[in-house]
Amino acid sequence: MHWLYLGVAVVFEIVVAIAAGKAEGFTNRKWTIVTLVSGAFGTYFLSRALLTFDVGVGYAVWTSVSGVGITLLGAWLFGQRLSWRKGLGIAAIIAGVVGLQLSGAA
Amino acid sequence: MSSISPSAARSWLMLLLAGGFEIGYALSVGGSHGFTRLTWSLVAVVFFLLTLWALSAALRTIEVSIGYAVWAGIGAAGAAVLGPVFFDERLTLVQSLWLCLIIAGVIWLKLADRLDSPKTPVEQPQEAESAGV
Repeated sequence: MHWLYLGVAVVFEIVVAIAAGKAEGFTNRKWTIVTLVSGAFGTYFLSRALLTFDVGVGYAVWTSVSGVGITLLGAWLFGQRLSWRKGLGIAAIIAGVVGLQLSGAA
Repeated sequence: MSSISPSAARSWLMLLLAGGFEIGYALSVGGSHGFTRLTWSLVAVVFFLLTLWALSAALRTIEVSIGYAVWAGIGAAGAAVLGPVFFDERLTLVQSLWLCLIIAGVIWLKLADRLDSPKTPVEQPQEAESAGV
């Protein structure tokens, strides 16, 4: 169940990152509201996940997988470049998450 | 090397500040025990607002993917180091190495972005608008 909570929190965090970028220092009201509401939901689901995960492990997995999602979305939606270098970072994150899980930390 | 403008420096300072707030956010969200503990929960809400405010301000001039990677890297490293200080947590050596790989991966994403991007003019506050089309 804690993996499901973490996955839901990741989705909300991706929305937060994109919305926060568009909120322009909280001057854009619509994107500010999207940021705050998504952040509240994401935070709640993260806190549920952290009932099982250690903080350091759960937070790192949550934020890194969110980072992967944001990089991929940035490439697909906003035309940011997706290079082999970014692919290497994404691979390292995935390997680290899998390794953590196999080593019993998650 | 000498091309960092004052406004760019301010944005990066704001980003580092956001990273610090993010560490506080991670620890207090964990300490809130699913938002069943009032004090930790209130602290989490304050850090949540602070980190969003600082990150949002920084992302006005720093590209989303770069800014997010730095912010997340600081937060993840800080939470991993301070988690065992505040809570009853223990990582094995192997688990710590996997954690390091994850955090290195997050930071690498940022480095990759800088290497990939051609040198761009520093004053580009309209970037977010053109990206949102």
